[in-house]
Amino acid sequence: MTTTWFDGLPAGDTDWGRFAASWPVPFGALAAVVGRAWDATDPVLLELCRLRMATMLGASAELERRSGRARAAGLDETKIAELPAWPTSARYAADERACLAFAEQFVIDANGVTDEQVAELTRHLGPEGTYAFVQALSAIETFQRACLTLGIATMPDVDQLGAPEPEPSEVSTSEKGSR
Amino acid sequence: MTPRIPLPTDELNALGLPDTSTLAPALASARDQLRRAAFRMRSVDAVTTELVRIRNARHQSCYF
Repeated sequence: MTTTWFDGLPAGDTDWGRFAASWPVPFGALAAVVGRAWDATDPVLLELCRLRMATMLGASAELERRSGRARAAGLDETKIAELPAWPTSARYAADERACLAFAEQFVIDANGVTDEQVAELTRHLGPEGTYAFVQALSAIETFQRACLTLGIATMPDVDQLGAPEPEPSEVSTSEKGSR
Repeated sequence: MTPRIPLPTDELNALGLPDTSTLAPALASARDQLRRAAFRMRSVDAVTTELVRIRNARHQSCYF
């Protein structure tokens, strides 16, 4: 655990879990925002931008995690390895470049996002998709900055964080029996 | 303020901002819950919280 500067946290499986046990409402709310961000956007586009933002912010723990949704949608490690070269790599399509350019500027200085960058994003994602993508980027950035600030280095899997709790009727008999 | 993306309506919300309530509603609702949770926290006093909010708004050129 890396949260040694923060006294009094309860024991837990992850740093995130230890903070969430102490402040369940805000941490639960942030996890829910991250979960809905993945629901609202293309997982490959968001995963590429999540990893790029993590690199820019120095969020090394985030770079170790992977989105199962993005992997299932076709994102592989070869492409991720070329992420630093996205402007010139032939592996990156126009929509991915538009999203990554936007994400980089968003992290550096949101005020510096240009009309042209928004127009390019909208050309690929449409107005509603652009709105959702920007909201999702903001959620991921908030999450990464919070983890960096608080010293949270271990956390649930990307797909597990913020996933809705199953309704009691959705829990299988075998799962019930194991509890 | 002119939106940079076409919106489904020209209506304004209670804050006088373009109404985006029909866009990504589940995500917007989750963000609203987070905002409410943050405002309910009382670990930091109200004056400091407000000063930080205003300072951050100015830093982000968020003038509403």
